[in-house]
Amino acid sequence: MKKVLIVDDSISVARQLEKILGDSGEFQVVGHGKNGMEAIRMHQTEHPDIICMDMNMPGMDGLTALRTLVALDKNVKVVMITSLGGVGDKFTEALRLGARTVISKPFEADNILQILREI
Amino acid sequence: MAVKFFGQFLVEKGVVSREILLQAIELQESVNLSFGATALAMGILTDGDIEKVHNAQRSEDLRFGDMAVKLGLLTNDQMLEVLARQKSTHLYIGEALVKVGGLQAEELPRYLDEFKADQAQYATDTVTIPAGITEPKFWEMVIDLSYKMLTRVALLVFRPEPTFVADRLPPMNVYAAMDFTGDISGRYLMGVTAATRAKIARAILKESNVDDEPREVLDDTVMEFVNVALGNIAAKAAQSGKALEIAPPEIFEAPAEIPVPAGHKALCFPVCLSDGDRLELAVFIKE
Repeated sequence: MKKVLIVDDSISVARQLEKILGDSGEFQVVGHGKNGMEAIRMHQTEHPDIICMDMNMPGMDGLTALRTLVALDKNVKVVMITSLGGVGDKFTEALRLGARTVISKPFEADNILQILREI
Repeated sequence: MAVKFFGQFLVEKGVVSREILLQAIELQESVNLSFGATALAMGILTDGDIEKVHNAQRSEDLRFGDMAVKLGLLTNDQMLEVLARQKSTHLYIGEALVKVGGLQAEELPRYLDEFKADQAQYATDTVTIPAGITEPKFWEMVIDLSYKMLTRVALLVFRPEPTFVADRLPPMNVYAAMDFTGDISGRYLMGVTAATRAKIARAILKESNVDDEPREVLDDTVMEFVNVALGNIAAKAAQSGKALEIAPPEIFEAPAEIPVPAGHKALCFPVCLSDGDRLELAVFIKE
């Protein structure tokens, strides 16, 4: 079972993702970080296979955290899940920094599961 | 289910890979020149002229071409020629994907049709904007997309009330708010009663009962709704060339009226819900 770390300042988004991933029986959520700093720390302690991370968070934002995560581990698998996914510049910047893909909010369960299975 | 651009739509469908999309975007960036670079290539502006325009833009918010005309570096006809050249040589992302081998030319119209059908739900319907509000088309889009998000994300049934300009917002149990900056700056606000907050929570959490949820979780769902609405507004704005940066959402109680901050104008677009409750939506527009 693939281990997933959720990084989002919203409790409700974390709850939605935990439910979708848990119900699938294919993924195990190993933690919930609320900003970029927590993402970097929990990547070191929880060793997730995939990190699902928001962009717009207080403190260290998702793109800054992504840059650091890729510098620390070039094989890290980060999927950005964000309401800003449809902003072309943000989408492109995330891919250039090394995100595997970007999913827009609101998201659909089937779409998330399909993407996480494939990366 | 969200506002997207064509490249993103194709990646999400698995039609093209992220690597191919990045190649296509790099090709676009090399072909689609700025106004200044196009005028330079046409031989009607020099590097020195471009520097003069950039310097002048630091003290006055005018587009490059308009500033070049104002400074007497271009005639109005020359400005229109540059814009026409930019338009005629513009490489769209679909065409760029064909050029880098990510799509077959004959597949492009079909995928464009699928994309248009997917995004048709976010096409802007007519909303009447009060007189005296600048950029009325932009605010029409903001209001219309807010209504669409209330329907599709918060699953609320409502009737929009007329839009108006106010100098204060009414008291509400809670307001969620997000600041935005960029080509247009301000603050987006949504005020709800406790009953409406519970409805939004049920929709966001996909739970039939939220009676035992802590206040923190219920408030978070209202903030997340505002975050999704404004993120999609930023995406739609980007499609019409307006860049917006958004700050993380905040929530606060409002037992008394909220005055509009100095230097701002409040555009209100409340809705009346099917149960009779009122939901406040407003933007404090920085003037």
